[in-house]
Amino acid sequence: MTSQCPFLIYRKEHDEQSFDTARAFCTATDSFVQPMRADICNNRYGLTHTTDCEIYDAHQSTLETDVSGAETE
Amino acid sequence: MTYQSYLDGEPVIITAAVTGGVHGKEANPNLPETPAEIAAAARACEAAGASIVHLHARKENGERAFSTDAFQEVTDAVRSATDNIIIQHSTGGTAAPDELRVEPLLTDPAPEMASLDMGPLNRYGKLTSENTRSLVDRLHEVMLDRNIKPELEVFNGGHLNESLRIIDDLVAPPYINLVFGGGTTTIPHPRNLCTLADTLPPGTEFNILGFGPHQLPMTTQGLLLGGHVRVGLEDNLYYRRGELATSNEQLVKRAVRIATELGRPIATPKQARSILGLK
Repeated sequence: MTSQCPFLIYRKEHDEQSFDTARAFCTATDSFVQPMRADICNNRYGLTHTTDCEIYDAHQSTLETDVSGAETE
Repeated sequence: MTYQSYLDGEPVIITAAVTGGVHGKEANPNLPETPAEIAAAARACEAAGASIVHLHARKENGERAFSTDAFQEVTDAVRSATDNIIIQHSTGGTAAPDELRVEPLLTDPAPEMASLDMGPLNRYGKLTSENTRSLVDRLHEVMLDRNIKPELEVFNGGHLNESLRIIDDLVAPPYINLVFGGGTTTIPHPRNLCTLADTLPPGTEFNILGFGPHQLPMTTQGLLLGGHVRVGLEDNLYYRRGELATSNEQLVKRAVRIATELGRPIATPKQARSILGLK
């Protein structure tokens, strides 16, 4: 498993929102992530995006699978 | 605390929940996240009439932080910025291990108050903040050791039963926060508030917390039943439908205005300490 959700990136701006510090952003929903949900994205505290995130569940089929079986965006 | 308490014009304690840990600036850019921003919000809320400030700690990017060091930074900033407000640390933390849940209680000095979640709370599609009895007892033990008054977070009626489990160990008066909203919290309806308020243990002081659009009506009803109220951006991002709140202070000012119109004087921090039995 990857160390964080493949849909997670950190960015400072999106549409009309901008921040001083890069924040968790979900490329599956195309929106910034709530701080509590970011702990799932980052697999903190024993949470894992593969088992604890319904958004990942709903979008994982959009992830391409390379020949080695590893997930890529 | 009853309707008679309202008729008697007993002071109302206003708690400002200024930051929280679930949502952040992505939901409302006016929500304070850094220690400096939280301190400034606490100062403004105290000036507006809040006598308790409920604190969480965050990382620089707004994500949740539970360590003693993180809480120390926030609470130091708030103490420096405010005059006499009562500081209440959150011990909430969905999915955080029990060891981390204790850390907000270990600052120097200890907070005068801390939240104590009385049972499970569902989050999102797959998370539950378990708040086991074992954890409740462990947190409460640390609070007793450090002379921290717990605010019992009653997310639903079952949690009132859980409160009764430890009621005899509480320093009088018990202080219970009745929570209304979606999911695992009590359905926000005036009748449910009346029922819960009617079934509180004798001598209990209670506070009302309503999430989102329920903050205004439920806290207003709470005022009429002699309860205390909690407002702030942790619980409610909007001032009215479609209009984001501009600050925590704005929500405190509204609570002060309504309480005053209804004849409930606003408790000063000194009065709040007396009501809650704080040293």
